[in-house]
Amino acid sequence: MKINQKLFLQFGICIIFFGLIGILINNLTINLIRTGLGFNFSWLFKPASFALAEHPLPYTSSDSYAWALFIGWLNSLKVIVSSLILATFLGTLIGFARTGTNSLLGLISAGYITIIRQTPLLLQLMFWYFVGFLGLKDNMFIQIKNILNISNQGIEFSGLTFSSEFLALLFGLSIFTSAYIAEVIRGGILSVSRGQWEAFRSLGISERKGLTLIILPQALPAIIPGLTSQYLNLAKNSTLAIAVGYSDIYAINDTIINQTGRAIECFIILLISFLLLNLLITNTMEIINRLILKSREYS
Amino acid sequence: MLKTYINSTIFFFKQIRKTIFLNLFNTIITLLIILLISVASIHAFKWLIFKANWKVVISNLPLYAFGSFPPDEQWRPATWIISLLLLSIFTLCGPEWRWLRKNLLIVWLGTIPLGLYLLYGGLGLSPIMSRHWGGLTLTILLTVFSSLLSLPLGIVLALCRQSSLPLTQKVSSIYIDVMRAIPLIAVLFFGQLLIPLFLPLGMEIDRVWRAIFAFTLFVSAYIAEDIRGGLQSIPNTQIEAANSLGLNQYQIIQFILIPQALRIALPALTNQSIGLFQNTSLMAILGLVELLGIGRSILANPEFIGQYIEVYVWLACVYWIVCTIMAVLARHLEKRMTINQANF
Repeated sequence: MKINQKLFLQFGICIIFFGLIGILINNLTINLIRTGLGFNFSWLFKPASFALAEHPLPYTSSDSYAWALFIGWLNSLKVIVSSLILATFLGTLIGFARTGTNSLLGLISAGYITIIRQTPLLLQLMFWYFVGFLGLKDNMFIQIKNILNISNQGIEFSGLTFSSEFLALLFGLSIFTSAYIAEVIRGGILSVSRGQWEAFRSLGISERKGLTLIILPQALPAIIPGLTSQYLNLAKNSTLAIAVGYSDIYAINDTIINQTGRAIECFIILLISFLLLNLLITNTMEIINRLILKSREYS
Repeated sequence: MLKTYINSTIFFFKQIRKTIFLNLFNTIITLLIILLISVASIHAFKWLIFKANWKVVISNLPLYAFGSFPPDEQWRPATWIISLLLLSIFTLCGPEWRWLRKNLLIVWLGTIPLGLYLLYGGLGLSPIMSRHWGGLTLTILLTVFSSLLSLPLGIVLALCRQSSLPLTQKVSSIYIDVMRAIPLIAVLFFGQLLIPLFLPLGMEIDRVWRAIFAFTLFVSAYIAEDIRGGLQSIPNTQIEAANSLGLNQYQIIQFILIPQALRIALPALTNQSIGLFQNTSLMAILGLVELLGIGRSILANPEFIGQYIEVYVWLACVYWIVCTIMAVLARHLEKRMTINQANF
């Protein structure tokens, strides 16, 4: 009786679900036929005929759409990895300041965290881009013996040039994510029992040494999962690059849709690129997690 | 009297010494911070009072609040926002009468049809198209409607993911995982583009509702995961107890699982709605003139060109204030829920 009921229920849900999908696909095909687009991927190999300001690999506007998308993916990866490192560094510092004994420092980092977390990321990115970088003077603003040049074109550091779009995105993303990472680190540090603090203090180990050698290794297993989800959020937030004009994977998809009108194909491509990015981040974090667990076993 | 006063000041200074000037390193850091703060605040004050030109904010206040809503009808969104504000203040500081507290939820729900009526018009008010909506009104509208629609969808998705029927479980798992993997702006952009493609011929939805549906589809996946966490933390013995009392499947879900899961997931859910409020700013890139979009279009006006800092600082203040109000309300709600739990 019970099994029959379950089967019946599942059958009903099945019919409703596939019926709904059928109606949607039917509507879609009707609309696609009406607009005369159809569904195929052969356009990927036609010349893209748009220029990209930033390309880590050689790219000209006569290259194919597929190559342009790959360049965009690399651009995304570049900004994600660099802001991930900067955000972790900043976030760790702020997390330590928040949990440390100096109450003034704790107060300031708490203020930093509330201001950053209670305002939208897009607003912060625009602030960094329009005020932080485009607000600089046209001519070289700071010049230190031709090693470091800062201007509204970006920063040039001993031959390496970073565009102002990239830097605005880098700063905005890192500062935004660092506030969240600081909370993750703080949670991890608080999860270590008070006895451990008292123990190393009574052994006469200095505060800084105790924090890095005794508290942090124990806090890491609690920190890593939170850190992974923050990194995934950072990867997703990096698509706001379009607001400052940095050509990441989403911005290039946007341009292609405006040129060719192939929204559904581009949606699938975007989905796959983000799946790849997410897999990359989660697998790397998994390896790091395993390394940490391994290092604890032997010591 | 004097002695206790002196003692307490000495204690205060000792405490300060203990927390701020513990050792040389700490002292240097503290002095540096004080120097930095004083320099920064002097510059900030100088800028705020002498250099900043607040005309760009003051002369455009109605635009920030209501967008391009017709000036004669602006009392309508104003009434809605003020009633929401008054209701928040009343919820936080109002009297503790029991009957009133019980009906407060109904009053809160009543603000939604009120808002729709005031904005759309009809029935005695002149009708106004949704393309005239804008500013803070539109931001609040997007937040309220998306979070209200995504809550039931999220509950259904979470229940489906936990169910023993393999098909529903698979489908909702795939939906949740895919939605959580893609960025919000992509969902919103393709929502604007693709929702018309999936609709039958001749049927159209305006931009605001397309945005609300896209937000709902996105946020419900996150809400589903939060509620699933709540569902998983309910001990299995409760379901067994309900079974032995003779409750059927639907009664268990309705009376045992959902109330407890919602209560456990409440902090996560309120965080989601605060996040949603901030994320409505993404619609500024996609052509809606909500709060940030209005800021952008004001900056594009030749009269106010280049006054980025004033506008961005002002917008940040508005976002910060509303987020803080929401957070305070959320904490109030959480406290109330835990008090109820203790009573039971």
